[in-house]
Amino acid sequence: MRTERREGERAAQYQNLLGLMGEPHGDRAAAPDALIKAIRMRSVMNCHRLAEAYRETSKVAYVSEQFPTEVVFAAGAMPWNIESMAIMLAQSVDVNRIFQLTQEKGLSRDICSFLRGPHGMMLANCYPTPDVVLTNDQPCEGLAKQMCLAGKRFDVPVIAMNTPESFDEDAIGYVARQIERMRERMAAELGLEGSSESLQRAVAFSNDAREYYRKTVALLETHKLPGISRELQEIFGMNYFGARENVTLCKALYQAAAELAKAAPGGGKRVIWIGQVPEETHELLRHMSREVEILYWAPLWNANLRSLDETRSLHSIAERAILYHWNAERMSVELERICDRFSVEGFVIVNVWGCRNIAGISPMLRDFAARRKIKHITINVDLVDRNNYAFNHVKNRVDAFLELMQ
Amino acid sequence: MITVGIDVGSLSTKSALMNNRLEVIASDVVLTGGTNRAAAETTYEQVLTKAGLTRDDVGYVVTTGYGRENVTFANKHLSEITCHGFGMHLINPEIRTILEIGGQDSKAIRIDEHGNVENFAMNDKCAAGCGRFLEVTARAMGVPLDQLGEVSAHSQNIVRISNTCTVFAETEVVSLVAVGTPIPDIVRGVHNSIAARAASLLRTVTISGRVGMSGGVALNSGVVRALADALKTDIYVVDNPQVRGAIGAAFIGQRQVASRDA
Ligand code: SF4
Repeated sequence: MRTERREGERAAQYQNLLGLMGEPHGDRAAAPDALIKAIRMRSVMNCHRLAEAYRETSKVAYVSEQFPTEVVFAAGAMPWNIESMAIMLAQSVDVNRIFQLTQEKGLSRDICSFLRGPHGMMLANCYPTPDVVLTNDQPCEGLAKQMCLAGKRFDVPVIAMNTPESFDEDAIGYVARQIERMRERMAAELGLEGSSESLQRAVAFSNDAREYYRKTVALLETHKLPGISRELQEIFGMNYFGARENVTLCKALYQAAAELAKAAPGGGKRVIWIGQVPEETHELLRHMSREVEILYWAPLWNANLRSLDETRSLHSIAERAILYHWNAERMSVELERICDRFSVEGFVIVNVWGCRNIAGISPMLRDFAARRKIKHITINVDLVDRNNYAFNHVKNRVDAFLELMQ
Repeated sequence: MITVGIDVGSLSTKSALMNNRLEVIASDVVLTGGTNRAAAETTYEQVLTKAGLTRDDVGYVVTTGYGRENVTFANKHLSEITCHGFGMHLINPEIRTILEIGGQDSKAIRIDEHGNVENFAMNDKCAAGCGRFLEVTARAMGVPLDQLGEVSAHSQNIVRISNTCTVFAETEVVSLVAVGTPIPDIVRGVHNSIAARAASLLRTVTISGRVGMSGGVALNSGVVRALADALKTDIYVVDNPQVRGAIGAAFIGQRQVASRDA
């Protein structure tokens, strides 16, 4: 196993990243004044995290979606969500070059671009070398495999967690024990010592941030708040729960939402965007936002809104990990709640090419929508690889859906 | 008040002219060719000539189809899904489920008792099961497109076309022809293949009420027969299926005028 990094390796990788910066793909819709502070704060925080991750002395942990990052922060490491990073960077880097690299290496284009993107970033050697790879096998096994490949590529330990679907004490205990062992391995193999005090602290930060996050989501129930749902999605995607500055960010977002709520009555047609989310300037989002208000589904999930029990942190983190599972029955109950509380009138089911997970739950989503008389559209798109998608092709049916919503 | 609906499709551009009694006075079809706008202009002029009217007599123009937004003289543009819904409702108010197969796509649409779209689904991964699929396979069999329906009526045996991809299906048809499979059987196999895809598309919107078919492929009696067999129900085929979208657009124009004048 490789233990030493080459001198200057991360500095070179950071330069490689900068070298890939290209023109932005679209204009950001003008944000309301009240929200600008929170958006800027998020940008600065992301920049800082990026810069920190490229410092030679930082401990970087690659993590998968919805990974319990409190554990990572408690260990003093920097979580690098390989998927969210790829989506964020796709706004600026030359994505064509990234996908070309994956093709040169024979990676099938049938694999979803949310997996090919990070893979290409690694091939371009512009992600910082990780010290450890931490992964969960849900919601996506493909992503878990990708994480294992990353571990192999950089020759670093991969610590994987298996999350069962059933939500009972056995399953919760099983996941909690895995997290405990993960912490022990991180300490033993990497010197990433996560004391119980540091875990307590990370959980407390996570809860403080979550409190503001939850209050912001609650405001969305009764108010139309332009840009807020997107920011909630961004915070969910980057998943810095457990970091002190995330509390500041969530607080700033809540304050912005409260400010906007003073002037914003409810009303207007609402749809929820179900499935993977493209970067915020994507033309599909801009096109739809002219007619309907888009709420992203993930920030509204119960699993994402619950606080952790500070007296039983690992148990509580394990519960949340299971609840994040894309279990069709629980998801259907969740959707009932979301549709009622947020007055949802439409579903946009986004089926990213090559994603078995969304394809698997789509029939349930369509049946649900039909039962609740919710208008719905399924769009098959590629939100990152532009070689696989033409806006005009999708626009036609999106327009029909928007007409349906009128 | 006269209204005109223009449906700018990928292969052909259609127009329909309607009076305030909701009667279609004239309709027209031209090939779209290179520019949407020019095709829309041509069919607009032609439909006016057929009706003995001029642009000054027209109170409202609604465009639909892929090229709808390129027609600058339109008062409104709407998707063909909405327009087909109203177009079919106008001809038969009992219709609740519509299959529209055009040159490059197929749509399943469910409408309510007023013609409003309740749900729809479209083929989106490829052109399998669309007009182009028929065109390509007809060429491979050497049968003129407009005779496919009649030819398939003489089939004695069922031949299965397993490829849904247009290009691969063409190869499959060529090999069936090469081994001497009777042409009517192959044509029927092609129709069955289209019908099977259409049936599953229709099921995604939940089939209810009367099923109607529009779009150019509805002119092919073989596909209609195969679909009726697959769904085990009668299929209502409109007289001028190609211009249904344009008629629906003209109808929406009448509603716009009525609400404007109310
Ligand atoms: S889009 Fe689907 S297949 Fe791809 S990483 Fe996400 S969940 Fe996995």
